[in-house]
Amino acid sequence: MLILISCLLLFITALALVVLRVMLPNTQYAWLVALGGAILALISVFSWLAQMPFELIMPAWQPTTAFVNPILFRADGISWPFALSIKALTLTVLLTAVARPFFANSYAWVGTLIIGGLGVMAVTANNPLTLLLVWGALDITELFIYLRSADGPTNNEKVVTSFSTRALGMGLLLWVNIVNFSQGSTFEVIAPSSGLYLVMAAGLRLGVLPLHLPYSSESTLGRGLSTSLRLISAASSLVLLVYIPAGSLGSVLTPFLMALAIIAALYGGWNWLRAPDELTGRPYWIMGISALSVISALSGNPLGAIAWGCALVLVGGALFLASVQQAWLNRFLLVGAFSLSSLPFSLTASAWLGKLSFFIPFVIIAQAILMAGFIRHALRPGGRDSLESQQNWSRTVYPTGILLLIIIQLLLGWMGWDGARQIGAWLQAVIVSTLAFVLVWATPRLRILNPIRAHWVNPTTSRLSTIYQDLWTIIYRGFGRISQTITLTLEGEGGIMWTLLFLVLFVSLLTQGTP
Amino acid sequence: MSAPVIWILVPFISGILILLFFSERYSSLAGGSISIILALTALIFPIDTALLLGAISLKISSSVQFFGRSFALTTADGSLLVIIYGLSALWFFGTQASGIANRFVSLGLMIVALLTASIAVEPFLFAALLLEIAAMLVIPLLVLPFQKPGRGVVRFLIYQTLAMPFILFSGWMLAGVEASPGNIGTTTQVGIMLGLGFAFLLGVFPLYNWIPMLMEEASPYATGFLLWALPTFTVIFALGFLDRYTWIRNSPQLSSAIQYAGIFMVVSGGFFASLQRHIGRIMGYAAIVETGLLILAMSLKSLEVVNITFLLLIPRGFVLALWALSLSIIKREAYSLRFSEIQGLARTYPLAVTALILAHLSMTGFPLLAGFPSRIALWQELAGQSLTIAFWMIMGMFGLLIAAVRTLAVFVMAEDGKAWALNESWIQMIMLGVGASGLFILGIFPQILQPLLTNLPALFNHLGQ
Repeated sequence: MLILISCLLLFITALALVVLRVMLPNTQYAWLVALGGAILALISVFSWLAQMPFELIMPAWQPTTAFVNPILFRADGISWPFALSIKALTLTVLLTAVARPFFANSYAWVGTLIIGGLGVMAVTANNPLTLLLVWGALDITELFIYLRSADGPTNNEKVVTSFSTRALGMGLLLWVNIVNFSQGSTFEVIAPSSGLYLVMAAGLRLGVLPLHLPYSSESTLGRGLSTSLRLISAASSLVLLVYIPAGSLGSVLTPFLMALAIIAALYGGWNWLRAPDELTGRPYWIMGISALSVISALSGNPLGAIAWGCALVLVGGALFLASVQQAWLNRFLLVGAFSLSSLPFSLTASAWLGKLSFFIPFVIIAQAILMAGFIRHALRPGGRDSLESQQNWSRTVYPTGILLLIIIQLLLGWMGWDGARQIGAWLQAVIVSTLAFVLVWATPRLRILNPIRAHWVNPTTSRLSTIYQDLWTIIYRGFGRISQTITLTLEGEGGIMWTLLFLVLFVSLLTQGTP
Repeated sequence: MSAPVIWILVPFISGILILLFFSERYSSLAGGSISIILALTALIFPIDTALLLGAISLKISSSVQFFGRSFALTTADGSLLVIIYGLSALWFFGTQASGIANRFVSLGLMIVALLTASIAVEPFLFAALLLEIAAMLVIPLLVLPFQKPGRGVVRFLIYQTLAMPFILFSGWMLAGVEASPGNIGTTTQVGIMLGLGFAFLLGVFPLYNWIPMLMEEASPYATGFLLWALPTFTVIFALGFLDRYTWIRNSPQLSSAIQYAGIFMVVSGGFFASLQRHIGRIMGYAAIVETGLLILAMSLKSLEVVNITFLLLIPRGFVLALWALSLSIIKREAYSLRFSEIQGLARTYPLAVTALILAHLSMTGFPLLAGFPSRIALWQELAGQSLTIAFWMIMGMFGLLIAAVRTLAVFVMAEDGKAWALNESWIQMIMLGVGASGLFILGIFPQILQPLLTNLPALFNHLGQ
């Protein structure tokens, strides 16, 4: 029931905002209503701790004989840190809204609250059927929000392409659901043979397997809504990695998938490091961290995926929502570098407890690049507004939001889940941190590490998408010709004769086996 | 009053009266209201059961004799009538929004009445004749007066007409099979005859090419109605065959043939849909996929055959109605439904485009939408019998998904700076809004159909036993 309360608090608040916007468009209290709902929702997640683990089973679909698996949510050591991160991000979006140029009751707040609620439902989903339903809701919501704001044919096409890749990921999860109907209804009892499908489903939705950019760099959405959409959507896919059965990692495909994930981590990290600003680099941040999460899961440490998932939301959220220039706050943001470092007792300390074998050097490089990119973006002063022009209360409220995410990073590192508060692979973490600081030092000095100029970044197309587009065109044309030939034959003048001929052929084929 | 008079004669005569006396404006309301009343009557008044209203005792008798033939609708048919007339009401209310002439409502009511008669008639083989008459009545819906019929219409009529002799002939032979069930030669011949009859009726591959042709040349709303009504009643007719003749149910060859026919329709329909550049044809192929799913459901060796078939049938009517309505609205603006003509229409007709895409996604089995629960139930049963068939079913759905994504991409490709505008009329907005909400409600709470599904297995006593 507590899960439902936590989600409903956000949904009801969103509904209240819509009602206020329609009935009292000039009301001053809309933000307080939104904030109140988000705070209560965050508190409610802490209240889970008193009862965990517990489940929420929704009323069964009927006829019950036709629907074996129930819609099932579960609060436990896996879903709680994700849920806490999502709720904290939602609250921070609303707290930092005070410093945005347009501060009024808008559908962006409604969207943020709904996405927050759906995100919590996704991370607590405890079987493929439930997760499919929540992914469906998230994807449709995201599709409409992006299509409403995107301008121009290319940007719109990009939104549709990203929707389709995520739908493909859903297809893989659906296959897992079909294969495991007889096994049972929860993620815990999934057959080892389905494990890699789970990795591929998550990888496809995150842009890691195969390497592609699932999100456009440019968005006309506000900073708050776009941040919560992208980070929560990614977290809802990352949670799947936690449920990979250990037995599935012995497959011959595992090293191959690991190599692909490392390529994605390096590609994402490199572009993140060289991005002109944090918002342009955001898709690469998501790709890079997600790839590290996939690597962690494939190395036999699915719990590491929790660490990276929370880091993606909390560390990324703090950086992307920090739009105002404040020296002390920028220094606090560097706590995020600690969270990314895998140093003892950090958020990601438990990330590398699995077997990385000969992939270790590549993982170190990828993680260091991502960390260096984070430090560079956190310390970069240019292009940000100042808090000086803001009212007194907003000067207090705004940093509170950012600090909330930073505090929760530290908190989760200590008590996030069973297996948090680890010393972890400390030597690897020290090497990563050293390399990251070397990269930060070298960035202004080595031309190759210099950020790409903003006007060089093509926001809508990349070489990767061109490759996929060409591949699609070739396949599509080939099948198109086959389809056209069949259609012309069957729908042409002699269509009926051809049809009857085919029919006779089928009947003779089918009756061949009859005694 | 007898049930066949209420649910067959009354709508048939109402159809004639609407054609003669009602203007275009009111025919939609009249047809929709009559259907709703008939659906509610079926819901409230059980057939063949005395109902006391104060001092008055009401009883709807179940059968009536007509030219020596009996038309019987039993208590178990009540839920079926609710579904049929409930969905018909949706189609008739939508006619005004779709902007097609009043002939649709009048002919539609007559067609539904005839099709209802096809499930009530005894001996049940006469259903083939009634289905044929209904198919003939569809022609004036598809071809405007003084217009030369297109190739799709002609082909539709040829195939439906060819179905009738096969079914009647197989019925005649079935008597022989029942007398000597050991005669394998006759059994095989009957199986082939019956299979061919239903292949023509349902448009099994390669007999479905009239569907995309018709979607291209006729009104999408009228064709949509045809694609809903005829397969629905044909499936019920086919379930009747499966229920009556044990040897059909138990024949492994026939069962495999039905399964292969179904999966071939799903895969080929999905494949062709993914490669179309005409959104009407895409809908046609989606309807083919849906019929393939129904055939797959009928091939299940499971107790759930009836439940799953009707779980597929109800959302199918809903989704097709919404899809056809959206296409009609778009066609009035774009004239042609080719990709080149509809580019960027999402900005000028956002609600119609949204409803169309949601209906399309629902047919692909997208989670949260009306088509998802029925597909999950079907997959669950298939997974227990053959994972290969379940996999190919996913491939068929994948083909439809590609078509949906391509359609969406074309719709949203508006030039830079084009503003959003609502050009749909109020009635269109209401109908589209209700339809789209219905998709979500059926997708999230499929259990709301349970009261209707509970009694349906009683219609087919032997199926699934």
